Amino acid sequence: MNVQFKKGVLELCVLVLLDKQDRYGYELVQKISDQIEISEGSVYPLLRRLTNEEYFTTYLKESSEGPPRKYYKLTIKGRTYLHELIKEWQEFANGVNQLIKEGVNVD
Amino acid sequence: MTKEQFLKQLDSALSRLSTVERQDILQDYIEHFDIGLEEGKTEVQIAASLGSPNQIAKELLASYHLEKVETTASAGNIFRAVWAAIGLGFFNLVIVLGPFVALLGVFVAGWATGAAFICSPLLVLVNAVINPDTFLLFDVFISMALCGIGLFIAIGMYFATKALTRGFVRYLKFNVTLVKGGLKRD
Repeated sequence: MNVQFKKGVLELCVLVLLDKQDRYGYELVQKISDQIEISEGSVYPLLRRLTNEEYFTTYLKESSEGPPRKYYKLTIKGRTYLHELIKEWQEFANGVNQLIKEGVNVD
Repeated sequence: MTKEQFLKQLDSALSRLSTVERQDILQDYIEHFDIGLEEGKTEVQIAASLGSPNQIAKELLASYHLEKVETTASAGNIFRAVWAAIGLGFFNLVIVLGPFVALLGVFVAGWATGAAFICSPLLVLVNAVINPDTFLLFDVFISMALCGIGLFIAIGMYFATKALTRGFVRYLKFNVTLVKGGLKRD
């Protein structure tokens, strides 16, 4: 898939995953790469950017195994942005699906 | 690629960032490797799915520069930008003006020599009119020879000017890319 397109979608994926619970970076990467083929390293630059834009806050939490992990927490600003993105995505997806449906049905 | 190789490559690709920022970024990847290793993956596997460190660095640097321009127009930042521009000016003064003056010197000297040689028979004639008693036939022949040499010099200078101008323009373009955020390297 187109790289730029994927990047935009990746932003949405990360925000969605943080909507219900805080997660650490590795967890986010795994959740996304289970569903979509991505180069995993590019998730961290995205997380940094979104943190700088104040969509997330971060905190360190001890883990039962190994060193503490950096958790990402959605801010109110982030949540508002997420809802905008979801709306945009659904409109976009509906539009494309409609085109596919028409395109495939008409022979 | 091992964990160490990956981190080293990323570190050197991010050398433009401050040490604190770089450490912070590397820490994310160290954490990623550590958790992956706990889950029984090998360093090579983890590095492979992370992708190229240079690509990651590019993404990080791009957003870092954008941020700087967009968010912080503090006095310190503006001062730094102005200072950088002045520094650039000094740099260019030496790097661009130096060769430019040297080239200009070559052009002027070459064309002046050519023109003087070509005009020499005329000058001999003028001399003969003004001071008829110093007139020598030898001067006439020498001046005609010089005129021929002068024509060759002029033709040579014509091509040299064209070639050197083109070369200098290319050099200027190179200089501009050099000044604009460094040369591209992967």
